Amino acid sequence: MNVYYAANLLVYAGVDIIACLALNLMFGVSGIVNFSFIVFQAVGAYSAAILSMPPDTAFGYDFQTYLGGSQLSFPLPWIGGAVAGGLLAIPIGFVVLRKLRADYQAIALLVLSIIANTVVTNATRLFNGAAGLALVPPPFSQQIDPNTENYQYLYVGLTAVCVVLVLIVVARITDSPYGRSLRAMREREVAAMAIGKNPVKLKMITFIVGGVIAGLSGAILVGFIQLWAPSVWLYPETIILFAAVIVGGRGNNVGAILGALLVPVGFEEVTRLMANVALGPPGMIPALEWVAIGLLIIGFLWFRPDGVRPEPRHVFEGAPAVDDT
Amino acid sequence: MSLFVTAFGFGLVSMSVIAIAAVGFTMQFGITNMINLAYGEVMICSAYVAYYMNKAGISIWIGMLAGALFGAVFSFLLNRLLYAPFQRKNTSYLGMVIVSLAVSLMIANLLLPIVGYYSVSYQESTSTTVHFGAIVLTNNQMIVIGISVALMLTIHGLLRYTRLGKAMRATAANPTLARNCGIPTQRVVDSVWLITGAMCGVAGVVAALNSDSFAIANGAGFLITALAAAVLGGAGQPYGAMIGAVLIGLITEFSAAAWSPEYKEVVAFGILVLVMVLRPQGLLAKRGALAAAG
Repeated sequence: MNVYYAANLLVYAGVDIIACLALNLMFGVSGIVNFSFIVFQAVGAYSAAILSMPPDTAFGYDFQTYLGGSQLSFPLPWIGGAVAGGLLAIPIGFVVLRKLRADYQAIALLVLSIIANTVVTNATRLFNGAAGLALVPPPFSQQIDPNTENYQYLYVGLTAVCVVLVLIVVARITDSPYGRSLRAMREREVAAMAIGKNPVKLKMITFIVGGVIAGLSGAILVGFIQLWAPSVWLYPETIILFAAVIVGGRGNNVGAILGALLVPVGFEEVTRLMANVALGPPGMIPALEWVAIGLLIIGFLWFRPDGVRPEPRHVFEGAPAVDDT
Repeated sequence: MSLFVTAFGFGLVSMSVIAIAAVGFTMQFGITNMINLAYGEVMICSAYVAYYMNKAGISIWIGMLAGALFGAVFSFLLNRLLYAPFQRKNTSYLGMVIVSLAVSLMIANLLLPIVGYYSVSYQESTSTTVHFGAIVLTNNQMIVIGISVALMLTIHGLLRYTRLGKAMRATAANPTLARNCGIPTQRVVDSVWLITGAMCGVAGVVAALNSDSFAIANGAGFLITALAAAVLGGAGQPYGAMIGAVLIGLITEFSAAAWSPEYKEVVAFGILVLVMVLRPQGLLAKRGALAAAG
């Protein structure tokens, strides 16, 4: 197996794992159905791209139009992407998470995702419209040639460090008393309020933390693929991640990682293997994959709503035995 | 100024189209408690049914009836085979939203290999126009407005003056109580899916007719405008959806005239956000789900 192929696979796996951990924190643990998840990833990617690219008047970049362009060196674009994801969560959370019913929240976020894509596609001056940003300089491209094998190891290493960091942060949250509050809110919001929890605040903080992590995942991805356009963050991309979290096991970090490896990474590989199989009109196989994702979600929700690795039951010492029915 | 008079003409057509879509959508939600995110895709499927009949040389209005029939049968089956079983399993509202989104994705992608990516349009030779002062409408647009008004009156009559309509309102208010009073709620729900499915089909065909050309990608846009009108009026309320459709239709067409037609859906979304912040229960929520106006 060649190094470039392996690096590609591992970086995508890392990005999907980070994204699924963030989505699991929002959807699995806290019960926020964030159908605009991919927008947070996109905003992280665009910010990281803009922060690492020169201004659009620079030589070699003048075929695109975009705002800013500050040519910062490595950790800053990634940090910027993460911060942008968190900042975006504040206004969206303020509108959506306040007093709306949970299903209203979900459809508002879905509509937001579709609209954000329309706006970025049409507002060409923002991020170069439908064509998107290209030639995004990858991290350390001044020091190491990105087309060497060594660079692939470096990028996989950076991604792995981020995966571990995110996993530690997310696990600290979900295993703490704070995580317990989040689960209490998910199970019964009124009961959580009755014992003094403020669900709006809990949701808001989770939304921001999730936004930061999602932004980071976008920043990592854009540094690797070096381009970012509206067509890579259409709303169905969010559904793949939902499928991953549902298949893996809602509310369980290990399940989220497993889901990320099974669904997005798995489907990516299937596409690659099927690329040479001629079957039906062009676009047939990707279309059937989306159908398969839909079937996967419906099938799991019907037969195994808790996923492959269900959330562990949290039992506390001294708690009275509960009749498990 | 005349720009806005023209926009008002377009607004009349737009609101007619949106009203059909939004009333169907909101009745599904109000009576069966199902936010059916696959609604936009069912609209597109019906539009394609009419397209293929139209291509075979049949009038678009007959095609529209076929689209309505398709929408009715498809929605009925969707509920019977998928949504109702999930609801019987006590799946949460959020679970149902996720299921319907998955369905929407599946419909769009099953349709894709059949009809292709490209935009298509109906063949209709009539190009006679009718003038009302500065407002110019084509014959087809007049017919669309007429169909919409007729459908709204039919829905009003159905809910207000028939036993079925009364049963629907009772089921919307409290399904358990309705069943205990001897209302066959299962049959009521089935008829709701048939009726709203037919409206969805008609809405798909007239929306496709109104937007000159259409493709699968339009399904999301159809859904957004219907959603915006339904939420603006108060989700689950047919009369609210009618008012919402009037407002959304006018505002989006005025904004298209004043600003840019690409942002029609963005404006609809802006209204949706404003409603959610300022009055999340919608304009008519005080009247109770599906209560008759007045």
